[in-house]
Amino acid sequence: MIRWLALLLAVLATISLFIGDGTFALPDGLILWQLRVPRTLLGMLVGGGLGLSGAVLQGALRNPLADPGLLGITGTAGLGAVIAFYWGLAATFAPALPAGGLLGAGIGAAFLLGFAGRAPSGPSLILAGVAVSAIASALLALALTLAPNPFALTEITFWLMGGLGDRPLWQVALAAPAILLGGALLLSLGRGLDALSLGEDTARSLGVPVTRTLQLAAVGTAFAVGTGAAVAGSIGFVGLVVPHLLRPWLGERPGALLPAAPLAGAALLLTADMLVRLAPMLLPLSAAPPVGVLTALLGAPFLVAIARRSAP
Amino acid sequence: MFLVLMGFGFAPAAHASAARVVSLNLCTDQMLVLLAPEKIAALSPLARDLALSFVAPQAAHLPVVRASAEAVLELRPDLVLAAPYGAQTTLALLQQERVPVLRIALPHDFAGIRQMTRLLAATLGVPQRGEVLLAAMDARLNRLPHPDHELRALVWEPRGLTAGPGTLMDAVLRAAGLNNGSDGSRESLETLLRHPPDVLVVQTASAYPSIATSLLDHPALAGVARREIPPALTICAGPFSAEAAALLAR
Repeated sequence: MIRWLALLLAVLATISLFIGDGTFALPDGLILWQLRVPRTLLGMLVGGGLGLSGAVLQGALRNPLADPGLLGITGTAGLGAVIAFYWGLAATFAPALPAGGLLGAGIGAAFLLGFAGRAPSGPSLILAGVAVSAIASALLALALTLAPNPFALTEITFWLMGGLGDRPLWQVALAAPAILLGGALLLSLGRGLDALSLGEDTARSLGVPVTRTLQLAAVGTAFAVGTGAAVAGSIGFVGLVVPHLLRPWLGERPGALLPAAPLAGAALLLTADMLVRLAPMLLPLSAAPPVGVLTALLGAPFLVAIARRSAP
Repeated sequence: MFLVLMGFGFAPAAHASAARVVSLNLCTDQMLVLLAPEKIAALSPLARDLALSFVAPQAAHLPVVRASAEAVLELRPDLVLAAPYGAQTTLALLQQERVPVLRIALPHDFAGIRQMTRLLAATLGVPQRGEVLLAAMDARLNRLPHPDHELRALVWEPRGLTAGPGTLMDAVLRAAGLNNGSDGSRESLETLLRHPPDVLVVQTASAYPSIATSLLDHPALAGVARREIPPALTICAGPFSAEAAALLAR
């Protein structure tokens, strides 16, 4: 399964390099290395981080609706990045942009962890996430309204819906280390998550440090999605959908999903991004729509289906 | 009565005696400061913005007013200058109160600039000042070097918009001896790089970033020659548009 997913991802990444603005061909070196390679890498990194953290959160919280977007973590990450970017901090010190995203994601994850510790029931945790998400997008709109650049407010779509286009390679390079670090941390949690799926008391009796596992899941998620949201905005539903797509193949055990989840997340986001880039060639559109529009359109019906299935 | 006032407003020299003039548009603000600073009752607040206004240093010491009928009426103006768009509800209210309103059509080329400057100078009773401004503008334009072979220039604005034929920037490019490579359509970063212009014309970066304005500094553009113009010189047409052409003709 892993091998097939890796092969699929390699094929998709190759095709992605061929898709341009109005053309389907391998471009000259400049456009290839400065535009299409960064876009493809960014899609794989962000999608991988979202897919993996979705699988970890669903396992750790034992909730099939858990997702870094629905829980508000990508929202607070975007808020942190907006504050670091529009007031010029990132212009004078470039790492401030991913750092802002990381800090925002950390605050969102810490809040949910604190909430999960006190009220571990599934629906109330999702509601808390929805509240965090709503506060984050309200503060995001406020920050963009107050931002000194006149174009800032029109960029709210990017921060709420996400996008992978025209980001310079150095921004992708700045975001990558945290995503890879967070990913490595999350991948190491498999055994703990397997034990947690039997309930916290059982996990404890098996010698699994439950609190520590949850803390590491929160920290790992903040790293895996925080810097990505700072560069690509809040792309929703990838983390929600990926574990559900994998379960029919790999079973219910969270540990079994983890190695496949980043590959599936990367493949899913890359596919969505290729579809939005092809859209202006097939439909009467003047520009490619934000990639988050497509992931939301595909992901939201999924959410309804899951909610229906898990309804008592 | 309404119609009479509208016609009255457009007759040049009819307001030569106007002593208290209010401008509610950035473009008429700049013309008013250049032509008749002593008659200013108030300018629009944008006139003081260093990033947008050519006359910001002078406007810093001049009164400003928001486009609100109440605030403008309090100034008891003899004449209100405005554009054909923006603040139209305020202007309608002012006209109801019998304040003469002059809507200036904003020009898109140097012939239009001459016409607008003469109209405003006559309206404000200072025709000779208008001629002085235009003579300086024409002298500036005539001194610009004219290259033998024309370079293909592209004016690239945030969000990928370009200045096509019929725009002020098109006239500025031609005055600078450059060939406008735009047909007015949008250019993405990739389509621009596929056929890079000889000269990329962009606005001087503002002090604070946005994604749209940061795109103008994308590293993939490092190999394209660029010339920068401060937006204060290009937002409005006026005798100072010659300065924009001078910045491009190098």
